[in-house]
Amino acid sequence: MRSLVVYAHPDPSSYCAALRDKVVAGLAAAGHELRVTDLYAEGFDPLFTAAEHAAHLDVGAHPHAAAHVADLQWCDQLVLVYPTWWSGQPAMLKGWIDRVWVRGATWELPAGGNRLQGRLRNVRSLVVVTTHGSSKWVNVLQGEPGKRTVSRTLRAVCHRRARTTWIALYGVDRSSLEDRQAFLDAIPRRLASRRLRRLARHRSGAAADGTRP
Amino acid sequence: MKALVVCAHPRGESFTHALTRAAVRGCERAGHDVTVVDLYELGFRAEMLLEEHRAYHSETPLLDPMTIEHAELVKTHEMLVFVYPTWWGGLPAVLKGWLERVMVLDVAFRFERQRVRPALTHVRRIVGITSYGSPWWAVKLLQDGGRRTLARALRMSCGGHVATTWLGMYSVDTSGIVERAAFLDRVEHTMAHLNAVKARSAGGHR
Repeated sequence: MRSLVVYAHPDPSSYCAALRDKVVAGLAAAGHELRVTDLYAEGFDPLFTAAEHAAHLDVGAHPHAAAHVADLQWCDQLVLVYPTWWSGQPAMLKGWIDRVWVRGATWELPAGGNRLQGRLRNVRSLVVVTTHGSSKWVNVLQGEPGKRTVSRTLRAVCHRRARTTWIALYGVDRSSLEDRQAFLDAIPRRLASRRLRRLARHRSGAAADGTRP
Repeated sequence: MKALVVCAHPRGESFTHALTRAAVRGCERAGHDVTVVDLYELGFRAEMLLEEHRAYHSETPLLDPMTIEHAELVKTHEMLVFVYPTWWGGLPAVLKGWLERVMVLDVAFRFERQRVRPALTHVRRIVGITSYGSPWWAVKLLQDGGRRTLARALRMSCGGHVATTWLGMYSVDTSGIVERAAFLDRVEHTMAHLNAVKARSAGGHR
């Protein structure tokens, strides 16, 4: 199974960085092939530019996104690791979605249509590992926009039976060191849920048969 | 009332900018003082930097002259108007980053006895004006993260006396010039009559 980990936090010594390390170790131990993207470390620019907007309906005219698109098309599973700010993905990660999920590679728009058709059918699993400053209750009142972005909007262009796995620590601002350590320790187990294990087996089987492209 | 209009689109000739101008015309017809903040034109940086994140929980979280200026604008305006295209079911990164970098401690919230309390208590109305590529039913199915961020999450920082107005142009990619012109008129008209709407709804509740 091939997993792409996309991580966004400005502080390399943050709790979120520890989460990313745990995710990477957990997936490696489970035998996944891994690619890791650290958006801050690579100096990714999240601003969708005027030139990109002018060309956003063209197919294959997105050189700025090519490397990231190749990673997206390579993976079976996309893992996003980020802190939830203002109830959603940090601007850095939202900018990665705005700029990298381009026409042709991730979606297609039929002539005269207004509904996207997915082109990222290789992605069978979306996993989010995140922290929320506020409680689950406050997040529910806010309608959990960040969760909708992944489980509804992004998933719509992935594999038809793609599932979302939500691994979140709520109330992190008021949490104790023990709470955070327990959440951290539980990451490998939660990444190896029965469903994800079955999916991984299925994908490795396909690879061994040579049936994957 | 003083209205702060925040516009987030990279191209000056965009429909979003036409919507911004219509909103400003409407506000002026209603006699509001309008301040426009065009995030792309100002070169607003979207992402929060390491030093800003380190300062986030301090007494002085605002480090950039531009975010200091915008925080002052937020504190002195009673109506916040957001004009943006909905991308991937949410706010463009530049607008999301504006919330993260400007709406900080003592601007949007404060701590009282270790609990988060709203600090935008002077804000009377939040207005969202946006265009969607998808039709209305698909936006409802995808559950409109951008609208939830502004009309619910940001609203929770405004205390109890805030109204929200949402103006959405659906299926914008397949819309014709007539529909777009009609929506521009609707935006201007709605913005010009917001006070009346507010007076009525306030009267109804109290």
